Amino acid sequence: MTNNNSGSKNEEEVGSYFLEVARGAHKKKEEEMEEDTEDEECPTELNTINSSGGFLVVSTDKISVKYPSVNLHGHDVGVVQANKPAPVKRLVYYFEIYVKDSGAKGQIAIGFTPDNFKMRRQPGWEPHSCGYHGDDGMLYRGQGKGEAFGPTYTANDIVGAGINYASHEFFFTKNGAVVGTVYNDVKGSLFPTIAVHSQNEEVHVNFGQKPFAFDLEDFEKQERMKQQMTVEKISLPPNVSHGIVRSYLLHYGYEDTLNSFDMASKTTVPPVHIAQENGFDEQDIMYALNERKTLRQLIKNGEIDAALGKLHDWYPQIVQDDKSATCFLLHCQKFIELVRVGALEEAVKYGRIQLAKFFGLAGFEDFVQDCVALLAYEQPRESSVGYLLEDSQREVVADAVNAMILSMNPNLKDSHGCLQSCLERLLRQLTACCLERRSLNGDQGEAFYLHRVLNIGKKC
Amino acid sequence: MSLFWIVIRQLAEIEAMATSKKVITKEEWEKKLKDVKIRKEDMNKLVMNFLVTEGYVDAAEKFRLESGTEPDIDLATITDRMAVKKAVQSGNVEDAIEKVNDLNPEQSFLEELEKTVALLAFEDVSNCPVGELLDISQRLKTASEVNAAILTSQSHEKDPKLPSLLKMLIWAQNQLDEKAAYPRINDLSTAKLEDPAV
Repeated sequence: MTNNNSGSKNEEEVGSYFLEVARGAHKKKEEEMEEDTEDEECPTELNTINSSGGFLVVSTDKISVKYPSVNLHGHDVGVVQANKPAPVKRLVYYFEIYVKDSGAKGQIAIGFTPDNFKMRRQPGWEPHSCGYHGDDGMLYRGQGKGEAFGPTYTANDIVGAGINYASHEFFFTKNGAVVGTVYNDVKGSLFPTIAVHSQNEEVHVNFGQKPFAFDLEDFEKQERMKQQMTVEKISLPPNVSHGIVRSYLLHYGYEDTLNSFDMASKTTVPPVHIAQENGFDEQDIMYALNERKTLRQLIKNGEIDAALGKLHDWYPQIVQDDKSATCFLLHCQKFIELVRVGALEEAVKYGRIQLAKFFGLAGFEDFVQDCVALLAYEQPRESSVGYLLEDSQREVVADAVNAMILSMNPNLKDSHGCLQSCLERLLRQLTACCLERRSLNGDQGEAFYLHRVLNIGKKC
Repeated sequence: MSLFWIVIRQLAEIEAMATSKKVITKEEWEKKLKDVKIRKEDMNKLVMNFLVTEGYVDAAEKFRLESGTEPDIDLATITDRMAVKKAVQSGNVEDAIEKVNDLNPEQSFLEELEKTVALLAFEDVSNCPVGELLDISQRLKTASEVNAAILTSQSHEKDPKLPSLLKMLIWAQNQLDEKAAYPRINDLSTAKLEDPAV
């Protein structure tokens, strides 16, 4: 049975998949940094609107407070929250206070309180809040009575409060050292909170605008290592990494690497044997290995005409329909290559012949407009469409052609297998599981981002 | 949707309610997978990292040419390291020590290394207090340790990242199992999505 019908359907699917990838590159540039740590707001200063009014005075720069009068009872605490709740999509949130003046009785507190907190009570004296108090060194978490926790603190001490989302704990520090932790079972957002309660107390707060006394980075490193150690204990089937790397090389057509890899694997001690039973199905991905490798080399060198020539010879059905997504990507890339070498007149001519037909076609329009926009700049590389000139763009086209050829395999069992390598599917699953787990956990904690994991240790 | 699938879905939801697990259908899950951004260059880096830490020098060089990915350490240092590893694995003690000297790591580390390698020098089992060192598996273990030690002395990570990521996947799925029913990958070598358990 010829797979003509399903063939063209496959082609469409493959073509539009990679067109999406190419279009995605434009949006990616705008979100270069990791997705979520950027979109969550962080506390930057104290909230003067809902603080306990006349009991305290907040400085004009909103990072320090004073208690001017004499306190009379337990409901005239000078409490102030941060302007934003503690962000949750991270491993740890932390802030510090510096006690400038411990006043008459040193009744200072640091902790976390919810949105609707009674702003005349110490953090920890009301449910769903917690506070570490300087006068008695006790921890209060929702009841009038506190529990023995840590040392007292007074003038010139730097005291910190944090939420550890990995271990679901609050933790407090004094002058750079952790004094204790306590389980955090509060649901809902929490505001960093400080309080003063006796005459002349003065406290300055640091939400990260200055370096902390506590080594937060090291603390985070330790936490991550704890999780890493649990994960490392898990056992893997033998040689599974080897097999996944091999299938990656096969999938994308890295023929020379594959041959080298296979040869070296035979001589390792002990030699690595990949048996069919392991699940690696060579039939599908050995297909047209040499052709795919050749085409990838041509495209990665920007030799689009040569690539189109080879495709006409080997797989005419791929380049038959000039309006297909694959042809579109190839023609756009040819245009980009002409711009790259400065052959602008030729580029315009080429664009008129090959790209004009895509204006006004939904799905192609925004990408072709970006390509054409390259002509508008003297320094296209530095413009907003400069991403088109990067190697990654050639890579997308090479991957698209690779996938198209894979989809031509008459023995093709799984049409989706052409689109993504096994490694890619595993990495997507890992990312999605971590995100879902975090989402079911009140969105608290770190998710997994391959880009960050690969670049650990490369920060200065 | 056919009646059959409606019933299946409802059974899943009933079971999920009993254990208060969220049910995620294959369709919903595939959409989440699609939203994940994986860069090709990052995957290339992961593969290069594997080739380099496991010592596949030629393959790493070819991969650099074919993919344009730069290895994160100098490939020349791998060749030296692999030579030491092979010497240890084959039991060529003198050769191994010589090659370790060539690598020229810091003095104190060098002593440790030489001690480890020199343990292989005891050819006569009866004389050797730790005769099991002659065993091939011990030699392999020692070779592996030597490899790791050299990598560390050259301030490189001694383990490839890929196996850790695979373990993380298993861990993440186990964790998510507690709260949701969703399509799992049970076979890492095929990465096939299994339908959520009903």
